[in-house]
Amino acid sequence: MITVTDVSKDYHSETRHIYHRVLSNVSFELKRGEKIAVLGRNGSGKSTLIRLVAGIELPTIGSIERTMSVSWPVGGHGGVAGSMTGNDNIRMICRIYNKQFKLMRDFVEDFAELGKYLAEPVITYSAGMRARLNFALSLAVDFDCYLIDEIIAVGDHRFQRRSHEELFDKRADRSLILASHVPQIVKDYCSRALVLHRGRGKMFDDLDLAFDIYHDL
Amino acid sequence: MILAEIRVFGRALAVQKRVLGALFMREFMTRWGRRNLGFAWLFAEPLVFAFPVIFMWTLIRAPYEHGMPMIAFIWSGYLPLLMFRHVTGGALYTVKFNGAMLYHRQVTPLDIFIGRQGLELMGNLSACAVSYLLFYMLGILDWPHDYALFLIGFFYMSWWSLAVALTVAALSERSELVEHIWLPVSYIYMALCGFMFMAQWLPNPLRQVALSVDPPLHAYEMIRGGLFGDQIQTFYDISYLSWILAILTFFGLWMMRDVRKHLILE
Repeated sequence: MITVTDVSKDYHSETRHIYHRVLSNVSFELKRGEKIAVLGRNGSGKSTLIRLVAGIELPTIGSIERTMSVSWPVGGHGGVAGSMTGNDNIRMICRIYNKQFKLMRDFVEDFAELGKYLAEPVITYSAGMRARLNFALSLAVDFDCYLIDEIIAVGDHRFQRRSHEELFDKRADRSLILASHVPQIVKDYCSRALVLHRGRGKMFDDLDLAFDIYHDL
Repeated sequence: MILAEIRVFGRALAVQKRVLGALFMREFMTRWGRRNLGFAWLFAEPLVFAFPVIFMWTLIRAPYEHGMPMIAFIWSGYLPLLMFRHVTGGALYTVKFNGAMLYHRQVTPLDIFIGRQGLELMGNLSACAVSYLLFYMLGILDWPHDYALFLIGFFYMSWWSLAVALTVAALSERSELVEHIWLPVSYIYMALCGFMFMAQWLPNPLRQVALSVDPPLHAYEMIRGGLFGDQIQTFYDISYLSWILAILTFFGLWMMRDVRKHLILE
């Protein structure tokens, strides 16, 4: 279970002596196996919320408790060292999470379909290739809860299909927090949606209602 | 109860070991990777700096000064200076620049610091060792007269470098001012740290001041005392230096503790 209680997050302005409140008094609970979506326009605090749940940054006020293992925010650049090759990244992740290199390499090779590029530095990858590697690594580590920021929209059609398979069929018992603009994905797989607007968050059990409100923002 | 705690501690220790191993590997691969000389650069790089400088100095200075052979004196000054500059130089924003690693929950800002600055320190210490052996074989440097003191000097110089680097690393994430202040300070440091002089050369009131405000001077005195033995007179106070470094390290760790609050990651 993940319990987010009255979380606010301020960022100091780079140019003025003020603070911007990016999230304000957000609370929700995520049970084991539950899948929720986070909806919100660009800049509404979706990624910040995901980083806080992942434990990368600390909330200014409030608390976040986790009783299951939580992935890093999958999809961005984080978690992978750009200057190293794909293979060396696999090796590094294996060491951090105590996994067997061969098993993980086989899985990543099969899922990310990067072929010979695994021997090249990640910095030379395209955005789609990077996202595939990042996602494959997080699936190979096998977390209880996945935090996913827009990734499914990044890949091509085949990758999208395989992501669904891995995340929703094979790992149906895992929890998920998904930031996405795509109504179909959200409606197919999430049971609730948290709508963020100007830092405030409200949880909806009715996904149609959540999308109506999101579209009106 | 105690057994359970020991087991928890043991598991934490295992995680720590794995994380540091992974970070060392990453730093290694990132800096020297699988190209050309590979990991030989670890100690070759500091030497590329050191040899031309030492060579230049021997051309412009007399072969013996204050009873010490010139090259030995410069070696004992410049190599530790290089170590300090390399270890502290990379410390600015070290956590932010490597923030991608914080995406893994087991990795702490302190782990990142140790991974980078620790490897830098090891590289520079091996450069000291390699260049020493090289000069020894060429007959330019003698075996240290008191090698325990010589090594203790290097130990304190390493501690000093890491303690300053830790403080700079933690503070630079809080304010950009640190960067602007640190760069000139690290230049002035070259003149003041003791790489070009010994405490004995200073007139007395100045010597007392230098010894009380200049911690690396004590480490330099020990290194040179160990290297040259009774040929020179040295001044150092190990307990004073230990206290200063302990306080600085504690301050650095304390500042590093909540550095996550000040980080803005991509």
